[in-house]
Amino acid sequence: MKELICIVCPNGCLLKVEKLNENWSIKGNLCSKGIDFAISEMTEAKRSVCSTVKTVFPEVPRLPVRTDGEIPKKFIFPLMKLINKVEIKAPIHSGDIILKNVFDTGVNVIATSDLFELLKEGIYD
Amino acid sequence: MKKIQKNIRQKINKEITCYEWHSSIVLEGIVDSWDDVVKAGKLAANKGYKGVVNKIEVKNLSIPDIKKPLLKDNYLHGKKVDVLIIGGGIIGCAIARELSKWDISILIIEKEEDLAMHTSSRNDGMIHPGILPKPGTKKAIFNVRGNKLYSKVTKELDVPFRRIGSLMLFEGNYMKLLLPYIKLRAKQNRVEGIQYLSADAIRKRVPAITKDISGGIFVPTTGILSPYKMTIAYGENAVLNGAEISFNTIALSMKKEHESIKAVQTNRGTIYPNLVINAAGVYSDKIAEMAGDQFFTIHPRKGQTIILDKKKGKLIDIVIAKSSLRKSTRSNTKGGGIVKTIDGNILVGPDAYEQPYREDYTTTRENIENIMKKHFPLIPQLSPKDVINYFAGIRAATYEEDFIVEKSEYVENLIHAAGIQSPGLASAPAIAEEIEKITINVLNDIQEVKPKENWNPIRKGIPQLNKMNKYERDRLIKERPDYGIIICRCEEISKGEIIDSIKSPIPAKSIDAIKRRVRPGMGRCQGGFCLPLVSKIIEEETELDMLSITKKGNKSQILSKETKEPDFDNEGGEASGDI
Amino acid sequence: METYDVVVLGAGPAGLAAGLEAAKRGGKTLIIERESRPGGILKQCIHDGFGLIEFKEKLSGPEYAERYIRMVRDKNIPIMTSTFATKVLKDKDKFIITLVNSNKGVFEIESKTMILANGCRERTSKQIFIHGSRPSGVYTAGTAQYFINILGYLPCKKCVILGSGDIGLIMARRLTLEGAKVIGVYEAKTTPSGLTRNIVQCLYDYDIPLYLSRTITRIIGDDRVEGVIINEVDENMKPIKGTEKLVECDGVILSVGLIPENEIAESLGIEIDKFTKGPCVDHNFMTLEDGVFSCGNALHVNDLVDYVTESGRYAGERAVVYAKNNIEKNLVKVNMSVNDFLYVVPQYIDITSNNKKVVLYFRSREIRKNVVVQIKYDNKIVFTRKYRVLRPPEMQRIELDLTELKMSKDKDFCIVMKEGQY
Repeated sequence: MKELICIVCPNGCLLKVEKLNENWSIKGNLCSKGIDFAISEMTEAKRSVCSTVKTVFPEVPRLPVRTDGEIPKKFIFPLMKLINKVEIKAPIHSGDIILKNVFDTGVNVIATSDLFELLKEGIYD
Repeated sequence: MKKIQKNIRQKINKEITCYEWHSSIVLEGIVDSWDDVVKAGKLAANKGYKGVVNKIEVKNLSIPDIKKPLLKDNYLHGKKVDVLIIGGGIIGCAIARELSKWDISILIIEKEEDLAMHTSSRNDGMIHPGILPKPGTKKAIFNVRGNKLYSKVTKELDVPFRRIGSLMLFEGNYMKLLLPYIKLRAKQNRVEGIQYLSADAIRKRVPAITKDISGGIFVPTTGILSPYKMTIAYGENAVLNGAEISFNTIALSMKKEHESIKAVQTNRGTIYPNLVINAAGVYSDKIAEMAGDQFFTIHPRKGQTIILDKKKGKLIDIVIAKSSLRKSTRSNTKGGGIVKTIDGNILVGPDAYEQPYREDYTTTRENIENIMKKHFPLIPQLSPKDVINYFAGIRAATYEEDFIVEKSEYVENLIHAAGIQSPGLASAPAIAEEIEKITINVLNDIQEVKPKENWNPIRKGIPQLNKMNKYERDRLIKERPDYGIIICRCEEISKGEIIDSIKSPIPAKSIDAIKRRVRPGMGRCQGGFCLPLVSKIIEEETELDMLSITKKGNKSQILSKETKEPDFDNEGGEASGDI
Repeated sequence: METYDVVVLGAGPAGLAAGLEAAKRGGKTLIIERESRPGGILKQCIHDGFGLIEFKEKLSGPEYAERYIRMVRDKNIPIMTSTFATKVLKDKDKFIITLVNSNKGVFEIESKTMILANGCRERTSKQIFIHGSRPSGVYTAGTAQYFINILGYLPCKKCVILGSGDIGLIMARRLTLEGAKVIGVYEAKTTPSGLTRNIVQCLYDYDIPLYLSRTITRIIGDDRVEGVIINEVDENMKPIKGTEKLVECDGVILSVGLIPENEIAESLGIEIDKFTKGPCVDHNFMTLEDGVFSCGNALHVNDLVDYVTESGRYAGERAVVYAKNNIEKNLVKVNMSVNDFLYVVPQYIDITSNNKKVVLYFRSREIRKNVVVQIKYDNKIVFTRKYRVLRPPEMQRIELDLTELKMSKDKDFCIVMKEGQY
């Protein structure tokens, strides 16, 4: 049996998970989301990843990015390696795709700030 | 001599030996504790010898060597100067400024990356009136004279200074017995204007004060200023009048010929001075030793001080000290107090205790808690929540507990401004005047000395925009828009002021050097918001890049590396799912 | 001199929402921002999880901020950036605000109301009485976050984090992702200060240990941090002698609490709540100084940005109502037991207000399981909710409708917590 803390909502239920034959037994959850969370944690835990990428613009040296969905945890550090190689050379908008379909997960890395606007305003005094 | 040795052996340790050297008394031996070292020194002090040279060691205690700069080059190699000043504190800088009136070459060497890095920035900025020092001592004379001189010199050097006066509080009625004694002291030391105030009169003047007082003495001549701004102002005026300062430069050894210093070896090459001034603070005895003239020993007396939020600064506009019989009779024990600073904060402390380390500025929970316990009751509205920072300083005390301001008796071209502890800041202008006189006398025997024709006593400080009226501030911003960009929100410091400090005659290049000049990061958030912005300004305005910017020189870089470096390789591997 | 109905100080999530709502309700509005860009602290909060309530999406901080900035820009509400309020004076029924910026110099504006939305600041190492030397390498989590996320520099390679506040947890993950080693998170309390999901996602996911009942007592290193001394602490959070342990590191990141920035409120003599450290307000988010409103983290430190936005929206709405009508108010207190609650906001309810909807926020003092929270007026229960668990890091929100309640000046509200079956 394994104990997990559900991170779907602030309730933070303590889940007790056990595999009985081919089925999952989950206890401690207050709602059905806890069941989905537990099964996903036990089979293939997934997380979203947020970071920054380098740009060529000295006024905005880093641009925030995130995955537009969750990727298996095992891809987090390999993804960081990809993210760290990116260099943004043109003004782009928030939501623009920076890395497409990473590790064949169907998840993209997108910009989460509007470089175009930032460059208009300057980021620090 | 024998009597002293007997006394010390009786009270401390049989193994201690005393002997005379150059009319001073030298102590040698090994004892169990630092307290014993200090005790032995005190037992030998003021017993008819010129000074106490205390070479007693403590069993199993190794005292770290002087902290040396990392830099090594030949920048100064072969340099000839008329006057070499060792030490860039308030004393060295004030001396350089007074000497810059004369047509001579002056070089200050300072082992740190900026001026005022040690005791000169680690005190409460109080300009003492001069009541406490024993009449006739150098402390008494220079303190009272120095206090007077500050009116003129702060005006010339554009350093904010206020005579806010001080209160010596009496906690019980019996303490009124002290009154005639203190009045006599004031008269002997020529401190003017002191007056007795009743408890009611005090509370009228300072409503925030505790009800548990029975009166006190008001001393109108007590002043406050920023000790590091004063040091820098002196240094800048000296530089503007032709003096030079070499930072990250430490005196390593000296070469003498016929009882005269010929050369001073440093980490940046050998200097050939005509005359050397020892203004090396807590290391002034080591410089004397280097020159073969050690007749005194510094025993570092440490003190810790608390800084309170400006919000509470409004509570008082005066310096407050508890007065005690002990303190009034023994001028070398400072009880500390509550000091309003020129920048609007309140300082509480310092305490005072003997310890062997000359550059250990660590603070301790116990000391800070004791200071709060001792002084906070004086102003009941003060609370630990008002504390925004605290610091430690080391007083350069000799066993004689008096200043040494004189020409060396044995080295022809060496002058000491040593053992300058509290009230050293208050005394600095007077000490500098005296050293100037001595220096010119000595130099006259070596070379021709003429006054400098175009000496300029005036130095302009960096404008403090938040202290200006709105019209003046507006005018300055229109002239220079950078004055309108606020970088430090707590202290309301503009980008223009920060750039000014970087472009000043003695350029600030580190975070702390900028702080000492214009205060970003000195407020309640302690630089949480402005540190990255100030770093960025340094990067823009100097040759330094972000990774080489330091907090205070040497290896105090604020950042480790850039993110997204191509060699990125995280050891973390796979993220784990275990709880 | 320009005269406004509403001047908002701060263009973070609270100020943007306040300004937007004020303008929507027809108030002549100006937003003042001391930094060069609007968005407040969200600009550097690049992690996701923002906006679940407001947008039903998991956004990053910059995305959340930029949505509001766009809405404000679309309504042509002026945001004056790089502009610093140096002084606020009350002059009869209006406020004179002295501002400084680089192109207009020193100038004044007038406003009928003012909304204080200037956020909070981080508690420093000295405010929690850490001792030792003063080397470089000791940063608050927010400062480290700015260096990493905005400027692109790592402030350390191998660090400890003191305090388990959310920003500290977020930074533990962030530092790890960028290649720094986080040795551990040390928390003086017996329970974490941050949200449970942040403990899981930021620490457990990356094998970063969390040490409870431990604190840093001493910092070591002359130039740069070389290590820290960690002590176990007793139930009063006092270090236990003899438990000292040296941990070598080149950085210390502090996440030991946030304090509302209320210097302007204090300069106006506005009553500050000693529990929230922000101004006391009524349910219209007006402080005890007529015409001055407070919202967001300047009022009290929120756990979710969505609540920050909500409070800004209410403050903006009510500021316009106040600016357009002369309002008589009658405040009654919302009492709480300090043994059960860390705080409750608002501290007062204006019983004559035409706004009968009250939103209350509170935090429990300790972790409490299976409790009932009730709001009483004149000993009558007007609200009851059961909670399976209440944790101090998680703020709670209650909505009350007072339309049917008959109220009078001499009676108080009271929020109580008691054991109860879930």
